[in-house]
Amino acid sequence: MSDHEDEGFGFAPEHDRPIPYMQRISGYYQGLGYGAPYRWAHYAEVPFAPLQKPLAASRIGLITTAAPYQPGHGDQGPGAAYNSAVKFYEVYSGDSAQDHDLRISHIAYDRDHTTAEDPNTWFPLPALRQLAAAGKIGAVAPRFHGAPTNRSHRTTLERDCLELLKRVRQDAVDAVVLAAV
Amino acid sequence: MCHQTVSLAARHLEANGIPTIVMGCAKDIVEFVGVPRFLFSDFPLGNPAGRPNDRESQAFTLDLAVRLLAAAPAPRTTVQSPLRWSANPDWKLDYSNIARLSPEEIAARRAEFDRQKDIAKTVLNNPQAAT
Repeated sequence: MSDHEDEGFGFAPEHDRPIPYMQRISGYYQGLGYGAPYRWAHYAEVPFAPLQKPLAASRIGLITTAAPYQPGHGDQGPGAAYNSAVKFYEVYSGDSAQDHDLRISHIAYDRDHTTAEDPNTWFPLPALRQLAAAGKIGAVAPRFHGAPTNRSHRTTLERDCLELLKRVRQDAVDAVVLAAV
Repeated sequence: MCHQTVSLAARHLEANGIPTIVMGCAKDIVEFVGVPRFLFSDFPLGNPAGRPNDRESQAFTLDLAVRLLAAAPAPRTTVQSPLRWSANPDWKLDYSNIARLSPEEIAARRAEFDRQKDIAKTVLNNPQAAT
């Protein structure tokens, strides 16, 4: 199995595969001197609810982890350093018919390789409206919702998830798109 | 942690009868949590919905995601977007790669991490105090 033998097959380089984030993050924080490895949420069973209507008749909701821009709370623009001052701790909602200025400076996104200059790469509300206008989905739900991140598992599972469910039920959605930054 | 949060939310909605699709760039985290449907874009974190300043790529990505709502036959359905971030995959070597940092960089990042943690605590305890 030398390199020579594999030539000509068009194989991609070994590292051209999904980044092993859990391993990288664990190594990173241990390297920085923080001891106990993070315990990631992990389940053996996964729930499944089939879509009950055709997509073209379904009302689709949107959940984001992006944060509303807050003037006066430090740099949140493209290329801004990590800015924990604009983190949010409660589920928030916005009118889907309006445009919103949502940022990601409170998140550990890839600051080396993406510039965070185009919100449409993390908040696809305009694109969702276009799908509705094109008749590919039935409608956009009246509100989108913001999910707080980097919380304890208990807070996410016992508070934030319940609140998100309550709100999407109020919106009478048929299905939900969740975009993770 | 964003990927973990939305994965937990997707599971909760789904367990209560609402179909979901997660769009994200961290395949291992989403699949480790375990979600019903996942559209994976092999892009740097921050781009779950397509390439920056590329409307066509964004429309394609969201269209693929909503189609998966109807098309997934079973839980843990992952579809990988065929879009490529770059012809050169070397960007994948950089994120949080401790092996690529000098001792000076490691010390500086630790100091910054502690500082941000203190700011976050201040905001949590007193949102008006954030500057």
